[in-house]
Amino acid sequence: MTRPAPIDFVRNAEAALANPALHASVRRAMVRFRELQRAVIGEVPDWQDLREYAHRVKMHTLAHLDRYLEQLEAAVTAAGGRVHWARDAGEARRIIVDLVRSHGGRAVVKSKSMTSEEIELNEALQTAGCRVVETDLGEYLLQLAGDRPAHLIAPAVHRSRDDIARLLARHLGVPVYDDPRDLTQVAREALRRAFLGAEVGITGVNFAVAETGTLVIVENEGNARLTTTLPPVHIALMGLEKVVPRLADLAVFLTLLPRAATGQRMSSYVSLVTGPRRAGEADGPDQLHLVILDNGRSSIAADPVMAEALACIRCGACLDVCPVFERTAGHAYGSVYSGPIGAVITPLLRGLDVAGRLPFASSLCGACGEICPVRIDLPRLLLELRARVVGGGGARLTERAFVRGWTAVMAHPSRLRVAGRLARWVLRVLWRGRLPVPFPLSAWTRVRDLPPPPPAAFRDLWNTSRRKETGP
Amino acid sequence: MSARDEILARLRARAPSEVLLPPVRPPAGPAGDVVDLFARRARDAGAEVVVVPASAWPARLAENLVGRGVRMAAVWDDPVLSPAVASLQEAGVAVVHAAGQTPQQLDACDAGLTTADAAVAVSGTLVLSCGPGRPRAASLLPALHVAVLPAGRIVATLDELLAARPASLPSALTLVTGPSRTADIELVPVRGVHGPTDVMVVVVG
Repeated sequence: MTRPAPIDFVRNAEAALANPALHASVRRAMVRFRELQRAVIGEVPDWQDLREYAHRVKMHTLAHLDRYLEQLEAAVTAAGGRVHWARDAGEARRIIVDLVRSHGGRAVVKSKSMTSEEIELNEALQTAGCRVVETDLGEYLLQLAGDRPAHLIAPAVHRSRDDIARLLARHLGVPVYDDPRDLTQVAREALRRAFLGAEVGITGVNFAVAETGTLVIVENEGNARLTTTLPPVHIALMGLEKVVPRLADLAVFLTLLPRAATGQRMSSYVSLVTGPRRAGEADGPDQLHLVILDNGRSSIAADPVMAEALACIRCGACLDVCPVFERTAGHAYGSVYSGPIGAVITPLLRGLDVAGRLPFASSLCGACGEICPVRIDLPRLLLELRARVVGGGGARLTERAFVRGWTAVMAHPSRLRVAGRLARWVLRVLWRGRLPVPFPLSAWTRVRDLPPPPPAAFRDLWNTSRRKETGP
Repeated sequence: MSARDEILARLRARAPSEVLLPPVRPPAGPAGDVVDLFARRARDAGAEVVVVPASAWPARLAENLVGRGVRMAAVWDDPVLSPAVASLQEAGVAVVHAAGQTPQQLDACDAGLTTADAAVAVSGTLVLSCGPGRPRAASLLPALHVAVLPAGRIVATLDELLAARPASLPSALTLVTGPSRTADIELVPVRGVHGPTDVMVVVVG
C-alpha cells in the first residue's frame, strides 16, 4: 500500500486565493449565513444553557459509547431493522455494496451524507455496477461536474449559476437557463424520475436515539424523505459518535442544529425513522439497515483531550465564522471535513503525517469556539494538535532554530535589550529602504505585512511614563 | 473477533469519565397564545396559515382549493378529515385515499391532505405521525400539502412535545416546517426542490 501524500494546505490555499470569483462567492455566502444565524440565535434567551447541556450530553455519551451503541443496536433490531458494524471505510463499503447487490439493486439514490463521502462510497458502488444518484441539489450538481463539496452545509457554494446552467444543459439536454428557479425545476424533474425508479436508498444520520432506536435525518429539500419513503431498501450510514441517549435530548439538539447550520428556527424536514415499514402501511422501505462506522473514531474517543472533537454535529457554523475558511473555501483542506472542525478531525482520522499542517490553518481568533453550538473548544484542540506536530518532530528546522534563539534571548533581560535594539534597527533599515526581507524571515512576511518599526522599546516607554507619573 | 465485538472492546478500553448525563430539561412555561405564535412562525417559514372555526373549515378549505385549481386530492384516512371529504366532493374536487395510490399516482395529485398530530409553536412546525392509512408520501409528492390541525394540539416548544414520550413511536414521525426549499444555487432561495412547493395549515378552533 502506498502512503497517502500529505495535504499541502498552503499550496491549496494559494490556488484558491488566486481565484477572486471563488473568494467573492464564498465570502458572500458566509456573510449571509452569519446574518441569518445571528438573528435566530439571538432570540433564544437560554442559548448558552442549551450549548452547555448539549456539550454535557455529548461528552457523557462519548465516554460510554459501548453502552449506548449496544442499546441502540437492541432498539433498532427490536423495531425490525438490521445493524451492521464496520471497523473502517473498506469494511463499510463492502457491507453496503453487498447489501445493494443482494437485493439485485442497480439503481441507488443517495441523500447528502458527509460520512459516505468520507468512505468514498460512490466510487465503490459504481465499480460494482450500480448507478448512484446524489439527490441533494448541491451534491447532484457536484456529481455531474465530477467535483467535491466545498462546504459542509452548502456543498456547491463555490459554483456560479452560469456554470451550473451549462452543466445541466450538457447533461440533461435542456436549454441554458439563468434563473435558479428554472435550474432547480429541471433538476427536480430529473431527480423525481430517479426516485421513482430507485431500488435502494442510502442516507446519513444526524442523531441516533439509543433508547428508541430512532434515526433522525435533518434536511430542507425533502430528498432524504423521498430516499426513506420510496425505495424498498433503506441503508443508513452513521459514524459511531452520532448516538444520543434519549428522545428528549433531541429537543435541545434540534433547537441548536438548524439555527447554527442555516439560520433557521427549524429545518424544513426532520424525519424520525424507527424501523422499516410496518404491517398495513402503504409506503416506507421493507428493509432498514443501519451501518455503524468506526474508521478511527474509537481511537479519538480514547484520547482524553481530543475526544471532544467527536461531539461535532456537523452544522458548519465554525466554517462560516472562520477568516481562513472564508478566503480559501473547503477544497484547500484536502478532506470532506473543512474549516476549523476539519483542521481538527482530518488529522485525527488520517494521521498527523498526512494532515499535520491543517491545525496551522487558523489564526486562533477563537470565533469557531464561540459559535460552536455544542461548545467544542476548537482553538484548544487546534493548539493541542500543533503541540503534537511539533513534539513529534514535525517542526521545520528554521522554526526550531528560531524558538531556540527566542528562548535564549527571553531568558536574560540584557540579551532582550540588545536583541530589541538590533531588531528595531533592522526593521528601520528595511522600512526606510523598502528592502526585500531576507531569508529566513521572508518565509514569515511572504503572507504577512512587515510591522512598522516602533519608536522605542516597550520597557523604555514604560519607565518614562512611570517617571512622569511618580514625578522626579 | 467480529467487527462489532472489536469496536465495542476498543470503546470499553476508554477510561471512565466523570461527566454525568444531565437530567432532561423541564419544558419552558406556557408561552402565551400558542395559536398566534404558531401561525406567525409557520408563516415565517413559508407556510400559509388559516385559522378557522370548527363549523366553517370544511367549506373554507374546499373554496380555497378550488380557487387554486386543485382537481384531485389524496387524503389520509383520519376521522378529523371526514367533514372535508364531502365538501371537497361537492365542490367538484376528486378525492382519493392516499394509502391506495402508487407513488406515480400521488405524484399526479394536485394536493395531499393530512392531519397534524401536534405542532410546535416556537418554530411553526407540524408533527405528522405516519402509519396505516397515513402514508408518508401524501405530504411529500403532491405540489401542495394541506394539514388540518385542531388548535388544541399546538404545544409551545419541542421540549414539551418530546417530554411526553409516546409509548411507541411510529415507523416515521415527520416534522414539517414550511415547504421544501433549497438555496444551493448562489444562495437564491427556491421552493419545491423535491417536496411540496406550498404548505397550507388549517388551524381548526
